[in-house]
Amino acid sequence: MSLREGSLDPQADSSVSFLPHLEAKIRQTHSLARLLTKYAEQLLQEYVQHQGAPFGSPGFSPPRLPVAGLSAPAPGHAGLPLAERLRLDAEALAELPPLLDAVRHRQAELSPRALRLLRRLEDATRQTRALGAALEAVLAALGAAAPGPRREPPAAPGPAGVFPAKLLGLRVCGLYREWTRRTEGDLGQLLPGGPA
Amino acid sequence: MLAGRPRPSAQSARRTPPLPLLLLCVLGAPRAESGAHTAVISPQDPTLLIGSSLQATCSVHGDPPGATAEGLYWTLNGRRLPSEHSRMLNASTLALVLANLNGSRQQSGDNLVCHARDGSILAGSCLYVGLPPEKPFNISCWSKNMKDLTCRWTPGAHGETFLHTNYSLKYKLRWYGQDNTCEEYHTVGPHSCHIPKDLALFTPYEIWVEATNRLGSARSDVLTLDILDVVTTDPPPDVHVSRVGGLEDQLSVRWVSPPALKDFLFQAKYQIRYRVEDSVDWKVVDDVSNQTSCRLAGLKPGTVYFVQVRCNPFGIYGSKKAGIWSEWSHPTAASTPRSERPGPGGGACEPRGGEPSSGPVRRELKQFLGWLKKHAYCSNLSFRLYDQWRAWMQKSHKTRNQDEGILPSGRRGAARGPAR
Repeated sequence: MSLREGSLDPQADSSVSFLPHLEAKIRQTHSLARLLTKYAEQLLQEYVQHQGAPFGSPGFSPPRLPVAGLSAPAPGHAGLPLAERLRLDAEALAELPPLLDAVRHRQAELSPRALRLLRRLEDATRQTRALGAALEAVLAALGAAAPGPRREPPAAPGPAGVFPAKLLGLRVCGLYREWTRRTEGDLGQLLPGGPA
Repeated sequence: MLAGRPRPSAQSARRTPPLPLLLLCVLGAPRAESGAHTAVISPQDPTLLIGSSLQATCSVHGDPPGATAEGLYWTLNGRRLPSEHSRMLNASTLALVLANLNGSRQQSGDNLVCHARDGSILAGSCLYVGLPPEKPFNISCWSKNMKDLTCRWTPGAHGETFLHTNYSLKYKLRWYGQDNTCEEYHTVGPHSCHIPKDLALFTPYEIWVEATNRLGSARSDVLTLDILDVVTTDPPPDVHVSRVGGLEDQLSVRWVSPPALKDFLFQAKYQIRYRVEDSVDWKVVDDVSNQTSCRLAGLKPGTVYFVQVRCNPFGIYGSKKAGIWSEWSHPTAASTPRSERPGPGGGACEPRGGEPSSGPVRRELKQFLGWLKKHAYCSNLSFRLYDQWRAWMQKSHKTRNQDEGILPSGRRGAARGPAR
């Protein structure tokens, strides 16, 4: 099987088996993504708890604020070639840690006694870096082009108000959940025989 | 319902966040995703006293121009506010008046939101409603082995200000030196702080607590103390409990001085407490002075007892203060020898054989023996002989009952120890 860019579709040549160590690495990265998807869900629940109603209320429909440097997976994401999807996943995972860290700093001001929330945000920052690095290693081993250098968005002051900051934190936590879920799904397609 | 401006003391105390976020989208900015109308609430994130009133406005602007405030409504913490609290100031501004505000529901602030007719969120502001802190009080401190200092305090008004209130423990040497701030908080409860090192002895410290929140600050009274007057130590290690020969109502307790202060514990006091295995009631023996052993007497035969010991490093470096008791040692268990006679159920710390008595019966016995020696030429009499006699009595009583095949009633024999 060719490991060139764009030919990672396991359906294309199912008779080729990955090198054992590479397969192990992919499985390990997929397991990590699955774990972080679960943690991202818990983080989101913890987050809304500390912002107060209407956050977390059924039917709460906040505006989906754009976040500089990061957007949600596009509707057509699932239709892209696997290599491209994994590259987009890696790019998003590289953008998330400073955003999560910024949310943590803001929450440390707003809810300093929310120790579990602050710890989850700190863990998410660290774990996302680890998942991003693992995914980049997998892409490199597969010969797929690594994501380009991270764009440094222009430094800008945060939202002036507390409520917009709460909404923004919610958006970041939501994006974190979407991208870990997306990464888990995409890596699962890379596994021979499907996800373990 | 009252309507009025917030009191002069109600002011937004927000600071700009110190860290720039790597994202920017403020509600109300023209680049909102939907391209629909947006709005701005004023005031942004006010701080108010409980019971005060709030006047707020929601001003709509957007694309296309000519946005109207018609149909807008307010929610507070997700609950829609009755329309009688709102009125249109002009075509694009909806005003709100809230009176007699309750304390904030969450630390991050109450969410006041302005909605469009279709329910979408146009703008939000967070209200901080609470009380200024009251004076913290009841500061108490202790030093473990003269190496550190831990202090605890009670927040004023039982701590409920409805706002995040920051407590800072400050300390300084009384006659010189700068103010220092304790850094390790919540070490022994939510209102505590630990100073781990660099403490001076033989010179008093001044200690106080400052409480601060968005509505103000308060300072406790100053506590002045010398580290040597608030010393505590570790529980005595190596506590051993054992039987005293065949004596069915006694146990011997031995322990070691806490090693960290062993060279300073000349006047240390110890306390023993003990309880029957299946009881929660402890009996305390507190006249142990600075011995490292004690005999418990008047116990129930054939019973498992749990015993603990603690130490008070009284008089360390000449301190005249009461000292602070250590924690109790880990429980140590032992059982008294079995007997068919029920025990008296209580005891005190007894001396070993040959030493002066501390219980009433043994005190009287000592006096009797002393009199006997003077008047009856019984020079060989001693407590050791008395204990031997007791052990002999118990043994022969047991043997007699076995021969006769009967159980004794609850009467006391002549060899019984003091009852408490």
